[in-house]
Amino acid sequence: MTLHVEVEQVAPTPLAGAFRCEDGELLALVGPSGAGKTSMLRVLAGLTRPQRGRVVVGEAVWFDTASGVFLPPQRRRVGLVFQDYALMPHLSALENVSLPLLHLAPPARERQAREWLDRVRLSAAQQNRRPADLSGGEQQRVAVARALARAPRLMLLDEPFSAVDQMNRQGLYQLLADLRRDMAIPIVLVTHDLHEAAMLADRLVVMDAGHVLQQGPPAAIHRAPRNARVADLVGIQNRFQGRWIGPSAREGWGLLQWCADAGTAVDPDRLPLLTVRDKRRIDAGQAVHWVLAGDAITLLERPPQGAGEFGAVVSEARPLGEITLLALALDAVPGVTLRLTLSGPQRRQVEVGARVTACVDLGLVHVMPVRGR
Amino acid sequence: MDWQALILSLQLAGATLAVLLPLGLWLGRWLARTRFAGKALVEALVVLPLVLPPTVLGYYLLVSLGGASPLGRWAAETLDLRLTFSFTGLVVASVIFNVPFIVQPVQRAFEAIPRGLTEAAAVSGLGIWQTWRRVEMPLAWPGVLSAVVLTFVHTMGEFGVVLMVGGSIPGETRTIAISIYDRVQAFDLAAADRMALLLLVLSLGAVTMSFFASARLAARR
Repeated sequence: MTLHVEVEQVAPTPLAGAFRCEDGELLALVGPSGAGKTSMLRVLAGLTRPQRGRVVVGEAVWFDTASGVFLPPQRRRVGLVFQDYALMPHLSALENVSLPLLHLAPPARERQAREWLDRVRLSAAQQNRRPADLSGGEQQRVAVARALARAPRLMLLDEPFSAVDQMNRQGLYQLLADLRRDMAIPIVLVTHDLHEAAMLADRLVVMDAGHVLQQGPPAAIHRAPRNARVADLVGIQNRFQGRWIGPSAREGWGLLQWCADAGTAVDPDRLPLLTVRDKRRIDAGQAVHWVLAGDAITLLERPPQGAGEFGAVVSEARPLGEITLLALALDAVPGVTLRLTLSGPQRRQVEVGARVTACVDLGLVHVMPVRGR
Repeated sequence: MDWQALILSLQLAGATLAVLLPLGLWLGRWLARTRFAGKALVEALVVLPLVLPPTVLGYYLLVSLGGASPLGRWAAETLDLRLTFSFTGLVVASVIFNVPFIVQPVQRAFEAIPRGLTEAAAVSGLGIWQTWRRVEMPLAWPGVLSAVVLTFVHTMGEFGVVLMVGGSIPGETRTIAISIYDRVQAFDLAAADRMALLLLVLSLGAVTMSFFASARLAARR
């Protein structure tokens, strides 16, 4: 039951993009607030009808402007967990979960509702309470049970982690993992938390200002964001300015000049030239952005030797639990800071002011044009 | 004590509610849920009977329902009904001057239901009627109850419009409020006293009960 989505809307708010999600796959819509993530979710649920597009789940066409099909939410078999849960305040947890089961006779309805509530681990006493008498985490589990009771062909979760504390998050991760194993339906969740999206999702769909900018596995997007905006949105810290010089002597590789940020006076001839992979997308002489994943940088305790090694001074060292966040000021490019995360024994040796050598894996440098999608 | 007038007032209030409650539920919910050009005008029309002097409202009703008006003539010829100086006419007038008393609280009650709840009902597969019965009405109920009580009590006590449209025909249009006025005119203060006190106690009791019930219902949510 693969989900296929295509949406194109100009007014009242822009919303455009296409993506797909396979059975048992978890897709995260990510982006800043106002990016159109929740709007996209509402389109999937049938709560809003965009100007043009298509929503297909398996064989079932839920929405298609070309053939004039629009199924209301009642006919979509979709499980939606609202951000604020939207539980009926006058009904008990059990009655809330019974709502999608009204087609059953009362005894069967109650039995099934209890099964779903057992499955999200709500005790018998809690099942008879109203939402106001349940904790936030318990309310969320009732909302998940209600969505599951619909026997959905598509599961949607709107910011499921936003109102849940750290302890309940672990439970929610487990619940999501169980769901994926048992249900084998597409799951789409909306989040602004990139860390969580990268951890849970098989695919990310990065949105901004109503448009889908890029999609793919989280690691692939982190390695190769399509443009500077995507790099910012997915939280890539090592993003730098540069100039594309052109092909190098080595086949498939090109020359990139590392430029200081605007406003820093530097002699251009003294800026380092990097030999990086050439995807033949960029014209010689063009200004570019380029990014470096944190795991492409290692620290050495000897002076720099050869390409990809740079002398630097530790300008910031922030210990955070089991890791240390490090900022390095590069000798070769004044004003530029390289950021990386250290863990393990290496953490003990770095302190602010120490001289180190940053070794950059140039094969992992990703170059993007300054403009364009 | 003019028992006939009291019974007539109760009948008038009951008949008004029977007509107005379904209408008010529909109109109030529609105003709460829909946005359209000219909504402000519709809302102003709903409130108009509240701010208009009863004699002005009564005058226009008298003119537009009377035998010389097209509506009055049509009612007389087709339905064999008199719309002025008759109980039927009083019910029509009463429905109109009570519109704000029922529509406004109902509208506020439906407006207070978060949009997400009706959407959650739709996503759970509930149709319009199931959503109405299982989600909207249970949540809007305190507001609807106070609308019903206000309308009932207001009809019992309305004077100006009733006098203009119905006059004071015993057993037909002389309600308890009119009867009090008649008794005062006839210097029968003892009878006026008893009826005024009855109306006071009835009104205070009904409004208190509706506040009490609303608070209880609100606390249960």
